[in-house]
Amino acid sequence: MKNFLTVKIPRGLPRGGFNLTTLSSIFQRVRRNISTSPHLHWAATATIAFSLLIIGTFTLVYVNVNGLIKSWQANIRVVAYLQDGLPEGRRAPLEQGLAKLYGVGEIRYVSKDEAMNRLKGQVKHRLSLLEGLRENPLPASFEIRLVQGWQSRERLDPLVDQIKQFAGIDDVEYGQAWLRRFSQFIAFFRLVSLIIGVLIVAATVFVSANTIKLTLCTKRQELEIMSLVGATDAFIQTPFYIQNMIEGLLGGVIAVGVLFGTYKLFIGGVESPHLLLSSGDIAFLSPAACGALLSAGILIGWIGSFLSLKRFLRP
Amino acid sequence: MTTGAEPVIRMFHVHKRYGSQIALHDINLTVVKNDFVFITGQSGAGKTTLLRLLFLDEVVSEGQILVNGVHLQRIRRAKIPFLRRNMGVVFQDFRLIHSYTVYENVALVLETAGRQKRYIQKKVRQVLRMVGLEDRLGTYPQRLSGGEQQRVAVARAAVGNPLILLADEPTGNLDTTAADMVFELFRQLHTQGTTVIVATHDSRLFEKVHGRIVLLNHGCVESKRTT
Repeated sequence: MKNFLTVKIPRGLPRGGFNLTTLSSIFQRVRRNISTSPHLHWAATATIAFSLLIIGTFTLVYVNVNGLIKSWQANIRVVAYLQDGLPEGRRAPLEQGLAKLYGVGEIRYVSKDEAMNRLKGQVKHRLSLLEGLRENPLPASFEIRLVQGWQSRERLDPLVDQIKQFAGIDDVEYGQAWLRRFSQFIAFFRLVSLIIGVLIVAATVFVSANTIKLTLCTKRQELEIMSLVGATDAFIQTPFYIQNMIEGLLGGVIAVGVLFGTYKLFIGGVESPHLLLSSGDIAFLSPAACGALLSAGILIGWIGSFLSLKRFLRP
Repeated sequence: MTTGAEPVIRMFHVHKRYGSQIALHDINLTVVKNDFVFITGQSGAGKTTLLRLLFLDEVVSEGQILVNGVHLQRIRRAKIPFLRRNMGVVFQDFRLIHSYTVYENVALVLETAGRQKRYIQKKVRQVLRMVGLEDRLGTYPQRLSGGEQQRVAVARAAVGNPLILLADEPTGNLDTTAADMVFELFRQLHTQGTTVIVATHDSRLFEKVHGRIVLLNHGCVESKRTT
């Protein structure tokens, strides 16, 4: 019995790897699958296109809002108010001391008079409000610009604490409440984007996998026969992977095309995008982001095939 | 069975049950290389089940089967296609792919095995000529008669020069002329060294070739004899 068990399978037919004939046969089956079930093919493509369109729109909004947020962040300044009556001679050493702190960029001195002039400029229609003032109540200050990367709350709070330690500094202001709300908004926006993105991708994969299952059900007998005449799982599965990756790519192309068309039609035509956002233009997705959308389509097709075929061909 | 010849199929105490229904009971059978075996018996005797166990369309409930030295109960799933490529199977219900032409149905066997296109064209035409269907290459199965479909199924089973040919009622739907044509093909394959196992209840076939007859009755081997 032992010797009998060790006998190898004689080769009636070659074990068969992937050669030109096999590839040609596979692509022929891809074409046949598409032409025999065009509705399923277009349903799968449309599903992926629609999902990628939502993801693309979200990415477009995210990229632009993120750009806006960055430009706002870059403008964050710290205002260090000086104690009233601080001798002129102590101003320069104080400024030098502040300049040595990590994170401090440009420092600009704003005198009491300049502060008053600015205020007058801001309330020029109600100057009567300032007429009753006998003396200038506004303090002199240093306007401190931060170096790149120091605009976050995590880095800014310790820096402000350090500034407050300097003798001659009365108070420090940097829009704490605004920055806190702003940081919370950024975190919330990123989280929501991530959750929605993941949900959409998961839903698309689910729908895509089920569309493939429908195709598989219509071809169940054909696949069984192939298996019985010696087709490997790879031979049976590969056309479905290729077909679904083509559908994913096609869906991606349609999504990017529709997104670009809509952008050109509605956003590109707006002469002053500043009407919609307070700074910066509304940019379209970068070529890399478009490439990522197409790749996402291909990946969704692949994952959909993997999930459905894995279950369908389970022994 | 030739004494000392290499066994290609061995069945040891094989049982097959579908729920409480017994399809095969304690089958012990050895088929040697280049044997020609008829499995016969009434409808429901277990002929089809026995064949299906051999190409792993079904698995045994109990017992062991060895095909070409490969233990079918231990074979890895990935190896099954390679085992099947050494077998040609003629199914009772033909099992042709209806969206494929006659040519494509037969060529599929060689395509899965990675044969070259030119070889496939030559071989498929050759085998279809042998079953009298050379002029139906581009026809779809549903446009063929039952007998013609059966001949396509036979051509598909034979095209890969299998080591073992399993045929389930291969002449069931054929008239005498077509049945003779098909049987001639089996004989040629047998002459070339193929082991042929035919499940049939048509006793007229026994006279056409020198072989062994295994009679099944209610899932049990009732007798074994030579023609």
